[in-house]
Amino acid sequence: MDELYREGEVAPSNSTPVKDPSHAPVVAMIGPPNSGKTTLFNQLTGLRQKVANYPGVTVEKHVGRAHLPGDQFIDLVDLPGVHGFSARSLDEQITRDVLEGKISGLRAPDALVLTIDSTRLESQLMLVEPVLKLEIPTLLVLNMWDELEERGGYVDDKVLGEQLGVEITRTNARTGLGVQAVQAFLASVSPQQATPPERNLKNVPEGRPLPMMDAFTARRQHVRRIVEAAGFGPPRPSGGSERLDAIALHKLWGPLLFLAVVITVFQSIFTWAVPLMDGVEFLISSSGEWIAATLADSWFRSLLIDGVWAGVGSVIVFLPQILILFLFLGVLEDSGYMARAAVIADRMMYRVGLQGRAFLPLLSGYACAIPAILAARTVDDERDRMATMFITPFMTCSARLPVYALLIAAFIPQRPILGPFLGQQAAVLLGLYGLGIVAAIGTAFVLKRTLLKARPGSFLMELPPYRIPSFRSIMLRLVDRSKIFLRRAGTVIFTVTLVLWVLTQFPRTEVGPPPIDDSALGQMGQVIEPVIEPLGYDWRIGVGLLTSLAAREVIVGTLGTIYGVEDDSEDSIVLQEALQRDLTVGSAIGLLVFFAFALQCMSTVAVMRRETAGWKWPLLQFTYMLTLAYVGAYIAVRIF
Amino acid sequence: MDTSEQSVESLAPLESGDLRLGDIPLQQTVELVNIDLPEDQAEPLLERGVLPGCQICPVRSSPSGDPIISVDGSLLALRRETADCLCVRLLTALQDVS
Repeated sequence: MDELYREGEVAPSNSTPVKDPSHAPVVAMIGPPNSGKTTLFNQLTGLRQKVANYPGVTVEKHVGRAHLPGDQFIDLVDLPGVHGFSARSLDEQITRDVLEGKISGLRAPDALVLTIDSTRLESQLMLVEPVLKLEIPTLLVLNMWDELEERGGYVDDKVLGEQLGVEITRTNARTGLGVQAVQAFLASVSPQQATPPERNLKNVPEGRPLPMMDAFTARRQHVRRIVEAAGFGPPRPSGGSERLDAIALHKLWGPLLFLAVVITVFQSIFTWAVPLMDGVEFLISSSGEWIAATLADSWFRSLLIDGVWAGVGSVIVFLPQILILFLFLGVLEDSGYMARAAVIADRMMYRVGLQGRAFLPLLSGYACAIPAILAARTVDDERDRMATMFITPFMTCSARLPVYALLIAAFIPQRPILGPFLGQQAAVLLGLYGLGIVAAIGTAFVLKRTLLKARPGSFLMELPPYRIPSFRSIMLRLVDRSKIFLRRAGTVIFTVTLVLWVLTQFPRTEVGPPPIDDSALGQMGQVIEPVIEPLGYDWRIGVGLLTSLAAREVIVGTLGTIYGVEDDSEDSIVLQEALQRDLTVGSAIGLLVFFAFALQCMSTVAVMRRETAGWKWPLLQFTYMLTLAYVGAYIAVRIF
Repeated sequence: MDTSEQSVESLAPLESGDLRLGDIPLQQTVELVNIDLPEDQAEPLLERGVLPGCQICPVRSSPSGDPIISVDGSLLALRRETADCLCVRLLTALQDVS
């Protein structure tokens, strides 16, 4: 994979002599959501892009390098899609700050590419005027031109450009039509002076005591005069989209289709991903064995194989699952169905105090809370976003599954409940999923009436026409996701497993590492033993709970080590028997409940800290979920 | 974000007898007269072209009974609580020229 370059740096290019490293032109791409802006970005940059975060916030920053004819290149920034600049959502705020050049460490753009959907010309042009006022060189891209023509619409783009006073071009980003014209514009961009003039981006012009609505109306009339001069004929409504909506938003078929989609996503995460995950696991363990065989027995081999390889490997196993989830989400989003799903989910979410946009992050939470919490940034109301992120870790993420699988297999006898349809083990698993949902709903309900109290906000969702998703766009996004996920596994998880390994190795004895109960980790387990004794756990489970703070599934490997089981995947029966000796059924169920509620995932805590720009929310969330887990486990132990 | 609940000020006084978008049957195009919402809630509507003078047509309702409207060739989903804050008037003479 190409080496990632930092902001302000110029990646070494093998063909191009670097002219002036500090002055590689930066062009920002802006436009409303669903205008095809990102498709155009992908056309221009291909794989030469990376995802990072804006300094200080976690709105993802997509940066790419466009290679232009004549060995020129330019850095493109794909800004989040916005409808305006009121800075209500994080996305709008970041777009505004970037355009105003107010983000430290990020150069103000030298030029803009403003992409709009030609089929919705009039309403999309509302975004244009405030942008043009910035007086940054701008190219206005009329995207989806073919669709406009297909549906019998028309506009004279030359006149439109003259009237608006902006360079204009028409494209169809999906097929790559008109991309050369955009490249030609990019080639003409020259870096501006080092300190750009003070800029101010406002929805409503300042300086006049004009009520907001009047200001918008004035702009709307201005836009109408311009499109009339350009002979704009609006396209016919898209018949195909209407027919699909008749099903997707039908009183009966709509919810059924919604349910079918959700079930399919689940099914794919939990069954179709399994062979792929097994494959990855096999690759990791066999490569580990191979490396182990080539190294002499030493502390270094122990660190590398038992620490790093096992620890990082236990997380990388989830990569196929996360990719499958994102494949589905990508298809759902790009096809336009996700907006419909949000509409269907909105009423349900509204009762809990949330809104339809929370549906996507919550669904993602079933694979992994981290991308889910990032996805919550599409929730435009700040309080709703906070509440959504807060309850996301209650969704049963895939890291809980190995723990559930181990304990259920060891303690819940397989007896049929509903004939061949539902066995006792499956029922317990379903119950744990249900427990997470109930906790999430209850928590959201309480939060929205206390800490995040607000008058009921509005929900406004634009329903874009249905479109066939572009394979290229979705694949590029999967590559992005893999990079982000692997980078995390390579940093956070790597560090944690390293620390855990060190804690099992000290204090040293004359013959080498200490027995596990004498090690620093074992001693820590014994320190917390009094706290977990009411739940029926001894220090062994305590150590497991401590290590699972890093990531839930780590407890399986830890218990395996403690009970002297060499390889937990092959000898899980042995581990089950050991657990059966140490735990009662009640305390096992308590442990399941504990895992359903507790926030044992340092990566989630870290991502919450970044997303909420502080420690307050992650600490509150961690404490709350831990308390709930302890109380829940205590009750479960008393009942069973 | 402003959270004060007292200073909720409508953009314009509500005229009595006004029709609300929520009362309009499907497929009937109406003209928006006023938005009876505080500015911070009205702004997203304004940005998307839901402005006084624009023509709105409720094209279908969601399974839960919330309206989906067509404005300027875009489809927007609202909550019915929002639709009840949009004051509209019927188009009389120009009914079919939308």
